[in-house]
Amino acid sequence: MEAYRDQYATLFNNGRGVVVLGVSVDPDSTLINWFREIETPIMVMGDTDAKVSRLYQAYNETNKLDSRHLYVIDKTGKVTYKTLPFRVMAQDAYTELEAEIDKLNPPKAPPGGAP
Amino acid sequence: MTHARLSTLVAAAFIGLPLTASAQQPAAPQPEVGPKVGEMAPDFEFTGITRYGKLANSQKLSDLRGQTVVLAFFPKARTRG
Repeated sequence: MEAYRDQYATLFNNGRGVVVLGVSVDPDSTLINWFREIETPIMVMGDTDAKVSRLYQAYNETNKLDSRHLYVIDKTGKVTYKTLPFRVMAQDAYTELEAEIDKLNPPKAPPGGAP
Repeated sequence: MTHARLSTLVAAAFIGLPLTASAQQPAAPQPEVGPKVGEMAPDFEFTGITRYGKLANSQKLSDLRGQTVVLAFFPKARTRG
């Protein structure tokens, strides 16, 4: 989540038209404390019963944790991109994600056009 | 061709035979994990948590229509990434 926070402006268009929702099976209290510490602008949910994780088949029944699955959902509610797992340590994974976000939310041209 | 060279070739042919046969068998298709690209994202209800705490009201994923949503599953708080 820190990587998403640090690249929020470029990756997620600074939140303009983009909502980032993290999902883990952590209890709410853990997530609340953690998010208060790291001050990230993104949102997270505690999925303690793994209902959402199972719905998206991200839940690992063996270790009882979510795998790093990532979905991009467009304005109509359709899945346009998925990566299983999202390689958090690989910069090209972020580059690819940024391209997908830009495709769905084309950056606006500056007023007056290019100099 | 020497006898030793011929033996080597025969042995290689025998070793290669099962490999070739297995290579010709089509791999069993792996079932796709999770919702497919192009499908509607399964809806769910949640109460979001932000840096300011837990939100007062729950909402549905479908309430976010009109915006792009990045749904990022992760194993545990305070893990890298």
